[in-house]
Amino acid sequence: MADHADIHNWQQMAEKELRGTTVDALKKPTPEGIDIKPLYTAEDLEQIDFVNNLPGVDPFVRGVRATMYTNRPWTIRQYAGFSTAKESNRFYRKNLAAGQKGLSVAFDLPTHRGYDSDHPRVTGDVGKAGVPVDSVEDMKILFDGIPLDKMSVSMTMNGAVLPVLAGYIVAAEEQGVSQEKLMGTIQNDILKEYLTRNTYIYPPEPSMRIVSDIIGYCSKNMPKYNTVSISGYHMMEAGADSVLQAAFTIADGIEYVKAAIKAGLDIDEFAPRLSFFFGIGMNFFMEIAMLRAARFLWADLMKQFNPKNPKSLMLRTHCQTSGWSLTQQDPYNNIIRTTLECLAAVLGGTQSLHTNSFDEAVSLPTDLSARVARNTQIIVQEESQVTRVVDPLGGSYYVESLTNSIITEARKIINEVDELGGMAKAIVSGMPKMRIEESSARRQARIDQGKDVIVGVNKYQVEDEAPMEVREISAEVRDQQVARLNEIKGKRDNAAVEKALAAITNCAQTGGNLLEVSIEAVRKRATVGEISDAMEKVFGRYVATTQCISGIYASEYQDNDIIASLRKRTDDFVQKEGRRPRILVTKMGQDGHDRGSKVVATAFADFGFDVDISPMFQTPAEAARMAIENDVHVVGVSSLAAGHKILVPDLIAALKEEGGDDVLVVVGGIIPPADYEFLHDAGVSNVFGPGSVITESANQVLNALENR
Amino acid sequence: MENNPEYYVQGVCAGNRKALAKTITLIESSLPKHQELTTKVLDRLLPFSGNAIRLGISGVPGVGKSTFIESLGMNLVEHGHRVAILAVDPSSTQSGGSILGDKTRMEKLSVQPNAFIRPSPAGGTLGGVSRKTRESLLVCEAAGFDVIMVETVGVGQSEVSVASMVDFFLLLMLAGAGDDLQGIKRGILELADAIVVNKADGDNLEKALQAKQIYADAMHLFSADTAEWLPPVLTCSALHIHGIDEVWETVLKHHKQLTATCALEQKRKKQALAWMRTLLEEGLKDWFYQIPEVQKLLPDLTREVERGASTPTAAVKKLLNSLNN
Ligand code: B12
Ligand SMILES: Nc1nc2c(ncn2[C@@H]2O[C@H](COP(=O)(O)OP(=O)(O)OP(=O)(O)O)[C@@H](O)[C@H]2O)c(=O)[nH]1
Ligand SMILES: [Mg+2]
Repeated sequence: MADHADIHNWQQMAEKELRGTTVDALKKPTPEGIDIKPLYTAEDLEQIDFVNNLPGVDPFVRGVRATMYTNRPWTIRQYAGFSTAKESNRFYRKNLAAGQKGLSVAFDLPTHRGYDSDHPRVTGDVGKAGVPVDSVEDMKILFDGIPLDKMSVSMTMNGAVLPVLAGYIVAAEEQGVSQEKLMGTIQNDILKEYLTRNTYIYPPEPSMRIVSDIIGYCSKNMPKYNTVSISGYHMMEAGADSVLQAAFTIADGIEYVKAAIKAGLDIDEFAPRLSFFFGIGMNFFMEIAMLRAARFLWADLMKQFNPKNPKSLMLRTHCQTSGWSLTQQDPYNNIIRTTLECLAAVLGGTQSLHTNSFDEAVSLPTDLSARVARNTQIIVQEESQVTRVVDPLGGSYYVESLTNSIITEARKIINEVDELGGMAKAIVSGMPKMRIEESSARRQARIDQGKDVIVGVNKYQVEDEAPMEVREISAEVRDQQVARLNEIKGKRDNAAVEKALAAITNCAQTGGNLLEVSIEAVRKRATVGEISDAMEKVFGRYVATTQCISGIYASEYQDNDIIASLRKRTDDFVQKEGRRPRILVTKMGQDGHDRGSKVVATAFADFGFDVDISPMFQTPAEAARMAIENDVHVVGVSSLAAGHKILVPDLIAALKEEGGDDVLVVVGGIIPPADYEFLHDAGVSNVFGPGSVITESANQVLNALENR
Repeated sequence: MENNPEYYVQGVCAGNRKALAKTITLIESSLPKHQELTTKVLDRLLPFSGNAIRLGISGVPGVGKSTFIESLGMNLVEHGHRVAILAVDPSSTQSGGSILGDKTRMEKLSVQPNAFIRPSPAGGTLGGVSRKTRESLLVCEAAGFDVIMVETVGVGQSEVSVASMVDFFLLLMLAGAGDDLQGIKRGILELADAIVVNKADGDNLEKALQAKQIYADAMHLFSADTAEWLPPVLTCSALHIHGIDEVWETVLKHHKQLTATCALEQKRKKQALAWMRTLLEEGLKDWFYQIPEVQKLLPDLTREVERGASTPTAAVKKLLNSLNN
């Protein structure tokens, strides 16, 4: 054991190497609020009592299974879905043949939000960012040739969770597989939708009832099925640091447990079927420690409910590497990033994992990039030998100490949430979202100044990038879906459908299990949109309140000259034009990615712009009207879900129709380089892709305004 | 920007959304040439104004003003009204810029054909919020809107200025704040034509009803028995749309009472005269400091007072006398 004298000795040697500065100068602050020392020793572990526990036992810091990967490795589970059910099915089957072990379905945004493909609000979204499922017929095609009694299927669905889960159950039924054989996971985590993922449909209260109804139904009929996947991943991708991710996720979990108990369920009946989902970024040891800390916190907090079954204390988790950490610039670097993140998830003890593709910041993965992503895991699993030992980092002075620090910091936030009355109330108060957005704005300011290094973006940039293959979903997909919908509606017994839908509305109003009645309606071929509408009649559609932080970007940005020169430019603009440059930052279609639009909005306001923010999910006509009415100089479209080639030209046409020819249009977000010309031709003055430095974007917007 | 006043006048009278928007921009502009143009436009639009119910809505940040306007506004357009909303946003940052997010809470109303919503930054431009909002209000009337709502955040001064341009001043309150009435300025309560405790729903309902009682007692103390209008205290839930009708009925009752006795005309006249006075005083001040004589004398006189070589009274006398020559 290193005693204090040794450390003193080390300090002296270190300071000699440092020539003049003290060891303290090597201490590094983190966004998590934990200072990282240059050296950890046994002394750091003295006060920590979970060290030297065993894997497979409470508090599970070292893993939830006694043998972990020494017996069976984690499940390679790649999230995918695009175009049509048929195309996606083909893609799944190919991947399974190539070594993938479980399925994970990505639905398109209309499906997420409970709209059928023929709905007027989804013209730019069908099949673009996932697979469209309008009815059980699509579901059957999606799983064609995939035996649902053998394959574990994970479905990321939260808003339209009832019709989609019902669709999966009925598709299996018609494959001859009964409910109790089904295994897999439904995300069914509505709380984080309000916080970051934005595919909610109903207000929080009825949505929480839906969650409980599903937990209730599945715990009776589908014993092998995970009923909620409590997700922190989306929070991290929206900007949360590791402490925020751990704290808010655990707090969400506790809220679901309380709701289920309130609905009359016994803790041991459902708690073992709750699973988790975490995001793993580039801060290698921090991510590992976060997973270990999360397991500790869950085991600890679940004890308040007095479970008898130790499995009720166990945090089992899926992980995904961070898409946000991947860049459009010099994209092959992304393979290296993903490998590191993959390793962190594994050393942290995940049960299953998705690794991202190197074209993450451009489009949905191509066959090639998907293969490399999958092989990243296979290589770690089968070549690197890291699976030979359970929790190889157990006992590491640094990792154990960091685990403890995360537990301490996360507890503070969980207590704050408690004081607000639990996570549901905290979300209504806006606190968690503001914290995440603040963290995101600070991060952006550090990147824009080059303080947080991202190779290829703010350091070692490449001049001429070779063009890359891009997966593009054709606009015809929507026509095909609409034709199929009409066909189904033509063939089914419409009176029976009406009756089943009325039963759903009635159940929503007066009580009963909503999944049970949804399954009945799906059997009759009611569509996802129809079932969602049947409940919307009672529950209403939720409108999120958009709050926006201010001053954070500028305060984190320490190069005041750049901020000052921008402020001078906006002040000069006032002198010339009589008012500040005014920009409407808008999100159109069902695209719910608001991290970029929020950080751009808050930064532009910090530079002296007047910034209007639109509600989410605007149609082009609605956005145009807002631009005219508020009389903005510029509309800034933020588009990440591949709707830009339809929505942006529609916006420009709508602006023209209302006489807004003079309004400048700029576009930011995920725009494949090959589409820039298309957008310019459509009348867009500037395109700002991923990695754009916001101060520079603002200067370019001002240039464009001056050159009008 | 269009230089011909006719463009604005005709557009507004025809109810053209874009022309109305541009006219408000013109009013808000800090450029002298735009202000000149504004004067011309307003002169011609004035005869078409005056036909709306003018409603001011204030309260602390987050009390639910925008949500309330969304709910009331939707109700009104469904009953055939044409509703214009002027939302003044104070959230100007250090930079002078601001984030205008009110419309995100008026999602349904903002796409109604019979609604017009204009968020405006309060940012430090000439004339201040009072002038811009007052004049924008008139223009909305000329464009045919029959209910105009002005949303401002309660920060003391802004309530006074809004109350002085509307027929009915509504103060939204929260339960909880009522426990310590001392915290609320009596002056603000006196401005209100009604107090509405919002968020009277869910766990909060009980507290809201208690708060209502406390405010009602307080209002009784403040207002004279002889007053023609005793400001009522109500509760509502802007979010769940409870009690909104009652608020509107109160507004109508007040309106009826005022019109029956010609008091509305009186009130607006008084507001106009008071506004003229304010403008005159502001104008005088501006004008005075622009006078070369004053600009020449003022620095020296200031120093004299500073040194104690002259009394303030003597200095001011000297300054004013210099103008008589
Ligand atoms: C973060 C993220 C998420 C988060 C979103 C959190 C949130 N609240 O925003 C979560 C995890 C919830 C998420 C979910 C999904 N995502 Co996602 N996500 C991303 C990711 C990894 C990063 C985006 C981001 O926020 N970057 C950081 C911000 C700051 O950058 P930015 O938005 O690009 O903005 C910058 C510039 O573009 C520009 N800019 C942007 N807008 C504007 C506007 C103006 C006016 C100006 C001047 C500049 C400007 O300036 C900014 C600063 O540099 C991208 C991949 C990637 N690396 O980009 C995928 C990505 C966008 N997601 C994708 C998909 C498919 C989804 C899902 C639909 C998956 C599914 N089927 O369920 C879901 C559903 C989300 C929804 N509701 O829409 C796809 C979209 C595919 C496509 N376009 O073809 C991407 C590209 C990943 C991929 N390759 O598959 N996602
Ligand atoms: N429970 C409940 N919440 C409400 C009610 N009215 C508004 N809210 C919520 O309170 C928050 C603030 O509402 P806003 O309408 O934006 O309040 P505001 O007074 O306009 O706020 P500022 O414009 O920022 O000053 C939002 O989250 C609303 O959903 C209500 O009647 N009940
Ligand atoms: Mg408001």
